[in-house]
Amino acid sequence: MTITRRSLLFVAMTSLPATAFAKGKPAPKDALLYFIWPHDGAVIKGAFWCRFGLRGMGVTHAGDNFQNSGHHHLLIDVNEPLNPDEPIAQDKAHLHFGAGQTEARIELPPGRHTLQLVLGDADHYPFVPPVVSKKITVRIK
Amino acid sequence: MRGEIRDINSNKSASPPDTGLPRRLAAIVAGDIVGYSRLMQLDEEGTHARVKRIERELIEPTIKEHHGRLVKTTGDGFIAIFDSPVEAVRCGIVIQQNMVGRNTSQPRPQWIEYRIGINLGDVIIDTHDVFGDGVNIASRLEGLADPGEVYISGGIYEQIKHKIVCGYESLGDRKVKNITDPIRVYRVLPDPAAFGRTRARRQNTLVVSLSVLLLGCAGGALWYFIAQTRGNIPYQTAAVETTPALLPSVEKQAALPVTPPPPQPAPAAVPETQPAPPPPAAKPVGEPEMITLPGGAFAMGSNDDITEKPIHQVTVKRFAIGKYPVSIREWNACAAAKACAFTATGNDDAPISNVSWSDARQFAAWLAETTGKSYRLPTEAEWEYAARGGTRTKYWWGEQLQPGAAGCKNCTEVAMAELPGKVGSFKANPFGLYDMGGTVDQWVEDCWHKNYQGAPANGSAWAEDSCPSHVLRSGSWRNDARYVRPSNRDSYDTNVRYPTHGFRIALTL
Repeated sequence: MTITRRSLLFVAMTSLPATAFAKGKPAPKDALLYFIWPHDGAVIKGAFWCRFGLRGMGVTHAGDNFQNSGHHHLLIDVNEPLNPDEPIAQDKAHLHFGAGQTEARIELPPGRHTLQLVLGDADHYPFVPPVVSKKITVRIK
Repeated sequence: MRGEIRDINSNKSASPPDTGLPRRLAAIVAGDIVGYSRLMQLDEEGTHARVKRIERELIEPTIKEHHGRLVKTTGDGFIAIFDSPVEAVRCGIVIQQNMVGRNTSQPRPQWIEYRIGINLGDVIIDTHDVFGDGVNIASRLEGLADPGEVYISGGIYEQIKHKIVCGYESLGDRKVKNITDPIRVYRVLPDPAAFGRTRARRQNTLVVSLSVLLLGCAGGALWYFIAQTRGNIPYQTAAVETTPALLPSVEKQAALPVTPPPPQPAPAAVPETQPAPPPPAAKPVGEPEMITLPGGAFAMGSNDDITEKPIHQVTVKRFAIGKYPVSIREWNACAAAKACAFTATGNDDAPISNVSWSDARQFAAWLAETTGKSYRLPTEAEWEYAARGGTRTKYWWGEQLQPGAAGCKNCTEVAMAELPGKVGSFKANPFGLYDMGGTVDQWVEDCWHKNYQGAPANGSAWAEDSCPSHVLRSGSWRNDARYVRPSNRDSYDTNVRYPTHGFRIALTL
């Protein structure tokens, strides 16, 4: 299990302080979101189980408003910055795990892909500060 | 099984057959069937066949999926070992929640219910058996457990408490037979909110969350729900924020393992654990505007995305479909009748959004009930047939994106903040249908399948019982033009609400 060292990546491209407008719930400072698998730079053949690690917070269902808990979102090849004022997008690049999943079978076309986890609150907003994993790169053979 | 377990227990005093066997720490899962002899008395051959089938189809694969090893089966029970306490507990939960699903189709006396106990212990593992105090404690825990429940020891609890999102009810220290020290016992509540919960809660959505794929707790909420209905009916009455006057019928429905399914084209599409149809309302309701479409054949799918392949010929029967997505006004009529889960705010003519598939099904069931007509969600094939409006092009209006043709991101002059706006704000397609692409995502009846391999060709819904995710069509105002294509398809968790998800209804003619 490789645990990435970075826990909180503040959204770099938001020049305004996120807290001023963000609608998300507050997150503890020591929350740590990381990939249990795959690790950064992994070369993978075919489909794989992506496993999500979270410390300092709990995983719950979307819609359940418990303090310090949220649900996972997996961002695949997403380059746009996270908008703290909007619910985390829902499309083919933003996979939602609102049923409380902590792992998912992921199938990607061959080539390089980036993966990043973002924790969303009951209403799918990013937390404040955002709880995101390091963005990792994997190569699919 | 009780006898068999004692056999294992008795091995405790006997020395293990091969002293060369290494000891190791393992999570031991012990399960057995409640009232096995009674079931055997009832129907010996049938029970035996069912138990074997459960072992083959559920117990063995689930243990394997969670990286465990089935050490032995003992007539009506089993012992399995796991390296990881987390996987062991997840496995126990998955088995229990699946048994709930299997039992719902059976009359109560024929239910097969497991008790499961899980302990962490240093054991000696032989090819066909496992020995040690740890095993005995697991089987004692199992003996303490109520039918359908998972009890874990303090050792397991310490390992998993921060890793599996469940509620854990401490049952204190228990003295068990032949074990010197008392054992700390915890009851696993797959839904963390379930423990001590008194507030109103939409339990219905949890009901459908039964799914093989859901990890531990996600689907486990269901298991807890069903378990609760047996002994704790008042807890259920808050299901749809029901008024006191409606309580009796809701209670009755909640207490029945199988609720009467709403009218559906494909029986397979009706999960047995669907939210109960609401009680009939006294006053008539305004029906959404419907457009009748002639039956016909069309080429479903495209080569634009891997999920839309292969293109295949589908024939749909004549049916009617909503001219617009269901509006907030229409939804709130259902909410006012206490048949839909929440009252929406916003412009009455805006499409209802932030609804889960189960919410949409509740609305359709309510509409069918109050009107006496076969209202339902459209099937995925019907939706695409309707969206294409007889065209075969990338978009219904042609091959190129036309500004203002649909309410999607960067495809209209209208600012994002003002979308989705009212239903019917954009052009109607050749069938006279609005918002078939853009505006709001729309749930259809079908379970999610990652492509069309094996899809039906008769326009029926492609669905299994209790699938974890369903198909969304149309794309929303927050998706770009790729999502507006009539062949575009996406999926989302069945019971989870998201702000861009709405639906339209269909009617069987």
